[in-house]
Amino acid sequence: MTTKLGEVDVVIVGLGWTGGILAKELTEAGLKVVALERGAPRSSENDYSLPNIRDELRYVVRHDLMQNTARDTITVRNNPKQEALPMRRLGSFLPGEVVGGSGVHWSGHTWRWTDMEFKIRSNYEERYGRKFIPDDMTIQDWGITYAELEPYYDKFEYTAAVSGKAGNIAGQILAGGNPFEAPRVRDYPLPPLTPILASEMFTNAARNAGYHPFPRPSANASQPYTNPDGAQFGGCQYCGYCQRFGCEANAKGSPHMTVIPIAMRNPNFELRTHSWVTKVLKDSDGKRVTGVTYTNVLNGEEFEQPATIVLLCAYAINNVHLMLLSGIGTPYDPVDQKGVVGKNYCYQTGASATLFFEGKYFNPFMNAGGSNATIDDFNINWTFDRAPHNFVGGYNVSGGFNTPLPIGYRPVPSGTPQWGSEWKRATAKWYQTAMVINASGSVMANRHNCFDLDPTYRNAFGQPLMRMTFDYQSNEHRMGVHAAGVVNEIAKSMNPTKLNPATARTEPWTVVPYQSTHNTGGTIMGTNPRDSVLNKYLQSWDCHNLFVVGANAFPHNSSYNPTGPVGALAYWTADAIKNRYVKNPGPLVQA
Amino acid sequence: MIDVIRLMLALFFALFMALPVTAPARAGGDAAGGEARFKDCAACHKLEPGINNVGPSLHAIFTRKAGELADFRYSPAMKRSGIVWTAETLDKFLSDPQGMVPGNRMPYAGMASADDRANLITYLQNATK
Repeated sequence: MTTKLGEVDVVIVGLGWTGGILAKELTEAGLKVVALERGAPRSSENDYSLPNIRDELRYVVRHDLMQNTARDTITVRNNPKQEALPMRRLGSFLPGEVVGGSGVHWSGHTWRWTDMEFKIRSNYEERYGRKFIPDDMTIQDWGITYAELEPYYDKFEYTAAVSGKAGNIAGQILAGGNPFEAPRVRDYPLPPLTPILASEMFTNAARNAGYHPFPRPSANASQPYTNPDGAQFGGCQYCGYCQRFGCEANAKGSPHMTVIPIAMRNPNFELRTHSWVTKVLKDSDGKRVTGVTYTNVLNGEEFEQPATIVLLCAYAINNVHLMLLSGIGTPYDPVDQKGVVGKNYCYQTGASATLFFEGKYFNPFMNAGGSNATIDDFNINWTFDRAPHNFVGGYNVSGGFNTPLPIGYRPVPSGTPQWGSEWKRATAKWYQTAMVINASGSVMANRHNCFDLDPTYRNAFGQPLMRMTFDYQSNEHRMGVHAAGVVNEIAKSMNPTKLNPATARTEPWTVVPYQSTHNTGGTIMGTNPRDSVLNKYLQSWDCHNLFVVGANAFPHNSSYNPTGPVGALAYWTADAIKNRYVKNPGPLVQA
Repeated sequence: MIDVIRLMLALFFALFMALPVTAPARAGGDAAGGEARFKDCAACHKLEPGINNVGPSLHAIFTRKAGELADFRYSPAMKRSGIVWTAETLDKFLSDPQGMVPGNRMPYAGMASADDRANLITYLQNATK
């Protein structure tokens, strides 16, 4: 039996960065907001402090902050000829499932994606001609511009305490920052993190090679900070437990210690945890949504929560899943290329080298989530000519560390046995002496990479699992070859005692090991309902009172971490709802 | 390279600061300077009574024994420490929290400058009343 609750103005599905930002902004605008989070309530005070943290078994092996695959997971295949099988254990990516979502366990890397992404098809066609883009590469312009998003990037950076060095303020290129970044109105709220030995060595080598290294912008507060909303940050203690952990020093910009507690203090806001949304409900003519149904996972009770506006703010994959389960929009069919829901799923790729320096001590246990120096010379640098290398997209290269786990991180030179006394000797010898240079690459949309509902497997609620069909294409293989070349060139110039060189990824993608939690697409944004699910305000073309906020809206994936535009788009959508939609409900863009 | 040297120096000092050799706390720090240093603490500690966040309220700290507040979950190490908070003991603690109370829960590496600590303590002596 489903209990029907009283109607509210807004129901938010999932309370991470996007849900938290929208909850804060819309309650402040006077709307009654209910957030439904399927995970547990967690706080810095009770959960992200000793002795509950710095625990690799709990957080890394048992995925304490992540989605529970025994209840819901996805099925996976590389291509339509294969039978998709359920991913029974998390590996390649780690969706968060707590109050704060993946914003609790992220590293904090915060980038501004530019018009190189937002106008990708126009840019490449203009410079290289239509034929340069392969027929099956379904990239498209996003329908939004960097100039529109700039104030919202700024707002997110100041909310999340991003430490960094501007490379371009209002067109003036500044030494030490990223010279290729799009112009920003002002600098980051905090100076860069203290560099570590590995990032300094990389910086020197990259500069000597003629590249343009800069400290990676990260929401790891380099000093104590109070954000514009009054949330207080401690300075990063370089404790080494960043990615996959909540921050014990309140130094990592996370929704559970910024936007969410501010919303919680507002009487317009109510949070219901352990609340699993199973469906978005449509009215009889299908032009509006009327609310959601959800199950209290602690006792099995079912509820209907009617709402004037529905915001899907869950993990990107789960937002798409809910759209498919709810029958909103036309599901994408890769064979006849009709429909849009599920289209353009993208991931990321990379190539990485491990360098061993006898006599150096890198102290890998002591760093921040963003203790990296980075070069963008092969990424958002449009003077880098892609034609001779024949790929679309780009990659950034970084040197340093991001949470090398004291137990899990065991660098040894290639050729070392994988177990036994020789391995023990090697891991003791080389642990302190290794550093990593890593290339992170974009993945372009392809007509065969997509989501749909699995015909066989079901979740704990009896609903079809999401099916992911994905593999890297030759475009990514060609880029990987180039990236591995650059990584190895820099690595060799540093004269390591031993080098495990980078190699281009050519084997099919698999769900193990961990690669990147940067899954994008599925309900993409665009300029018209034929090519996209959402308009530029992340509003559904089909149901105007439904907004789907997150990386699910990205039409392709860049080499950057996605949280910068995810946060900026949440603020952008909040403004569109507060200032326009509420006054005059209806499509914000005419189809 | 300068930063590497700085890091090595910091490590060197951190090692030796852990030895039970502490300079006496300086009296009469600058409260305004101390208020600025309190930013290091403010993400976790409140000055008002009864508000325990990540760290316990600092209200009336100079009248208290370590680990005394009933509604804050202290580490066993802090409860057992037997410390009575004075300008001297707080100075020693802030210089190296894990050195003075090994196993305590506070995720803070310490305030290296004796002047900063003196200013902070002067500020706290009034602000926690």
